[in-house]
Amino acid sequence: MKQRDDWHLTDVLDYEHGRGDPFAAAVRATRMPMVITDPAQDDNPIVFCNVAFQELTGYAREEIIGRNCRFLQGPDTDPDAVARVRRAIDQGHDIDVDLLNYRKDGSRFWNALYMSPVRDKDGIIRFFFASQLDVTERVEAHNIINQQKELVEQEVERRTADLRAALEAKTILLHEVDHRVKNNLTMIGSLLRLQVRTIEDPAIMAKLDSMLERVDALAVVHRQLYQSSDITKFDIGAFAESLTLDVVGASGRADIQTEIDAGPLFVNPAHASALGLILNEILTNAIKHGFANGRSGTLRLLVSDDDERGVIRICDDGPGLICQKRTKSIGMSLVTRLARQASAEAVWSDGAPGTCVTITFPYNGTPK
Amino acid sequence: MTDAMKVLIVEDEMLLAMDIEAIIEDSGHQVLGEAASLEEVERLPDSLDPQLAFVDLHLANGSNGLDVCKLIQQRWPDALVVFVTANVAQIPEDFVGAHGVIAKPFSHAGVVNAIHYLAQGVFDPPPHSLRPASLIPSPHLELRWAVM
Repeated sequence: MKQRDDWHLTDVLDYEHGRGDPFAAAVRATRMPMVITDPAQDDNPIVFCNVAFQELTGYAREEIIGRNCRFLQGPDTDPDAVARVRRAIDQGHDIDVDLLNYRKDGSRFWNALYMSPVRDKDGIIRFFFASQLDVTERVEAHNIINQQKELVEQEVERRTADLRAALEAKTILLHEVDHRVKNNLTMIGSLLRLQVRTIEDPAIMAKLDSMLERVDALAVVHRQLYQSSDITKFDIGAFAESLTLDVVGASGRADIQTEIDAGPLFVNPAHASALGLILNEILTNAIKHGFANGRSGTLRLLVSDDDERGVIRICDDGPGLICQKRTKSIGMSLVTRLARQASAEAVWSDGAPGTCVTITFPYNGTPK
Repeated sequence: MTDAMKVLIVEDEMLLAMDIEAIIEDSGHQVLGEAASLEEVERLPDSLDPQLAFVDLHLANGSNGLDVCKLIQQRWPDALVVFVTANVAQIPEDFVGAHGVIAKPFSHAGVVNAIHYLAQGVFDPPPHSLRPASLIPSPHLELRWAVM
């Protein structure tokens, strides 16, 4: 016999209703509070209650029998829940609901009510059978959890608002500082340029011009850094290309061609300024010495990488190293010292014709 | 250099205005006038007729370059307008009709090359030089010069 057919067992047990009925005895003795009501009588009164129900509610049997179940309700019982019970009775279906009920002594308890109609063989409802369970602890624990959850949520909300405000303040500050850096760099360049115009001595003017080019190179580094979407890396490849075009263009030398083979190559932004200044020295040097005395030619830029290091080669097709005066300029010393700072290395070689400078440095990779 | 471009500078930082003016004149072009605010642009005569205007976004007396750009397009519809600003992100996607932007801090070379490129675009469009990295064109200018 299948499990779901178990209830048919009662059909074969032929006991008369009354004290000897084992099912009635079980209902009377179970720890589960139970009542039976009779909808045929006026106001659907309770016609049976067990001992567990009396113990739960604190009422004696004679105070219970003959009354409608609503005598357990009190001022804080949820009217909506009560309405649902009433609707279930009217429509003749079962219902499972938590109700706030009151004992005889006025104390409250949460009652997990399960009520179902009992029909005869013609389908007419003869009784309602209701079981109760005191779930006060469960409901209260649930309420406490809800209250605490609400408190935690309020606290999280408050802290989030604090953090958001702090972040906003920092963002505004960062924006302001960034703006000042940009403006000051622009003004420094403009101030130097305005000064250069008033100088007559060509030697001093040349030195100031070199200074200006360095400030401009720093400005280009900063501009590329703040316009980049990722501030954790600096594209030295794009920088080298734009600086090469800038320097050649600014020289006003339409007779110098450029050959550029440069893709993206990322370096640590902490080294961006140092590498930027190194490239500037080498490029301006190439224009001054490689294409001196109006000699036309081609300036080549190659950006690549071997397995471990980024490589930038800048080559002119000028007279080569032998013909260049290696003066003790600040430019050379800048390249040497800045290279050390950026863990880079600059090597001059005779390209025959021309001079090549190869700069190698640590890099963070190329976009795949 | 073929012809001299007539240029208007709208910049409230006098140092930068002086610097840009000198760079323009060194490049063989002519600075028609300078203005530091929207009101000063309003007071310029109609006959000015610039071919190029460099316009800062942040201007004196609480005015801004976006409004100046609209005014310039009303008064001198043929002028190219190029913003010169540290706040590139504040420029709307359509550039309010302007033609490009040079980001601050600018380099001397960057401005010189941009002027050279723009002059080619003014007198003999489209420019035959490679566009310098310092000049970011607006989408409509890029399109205009690409289809020529």
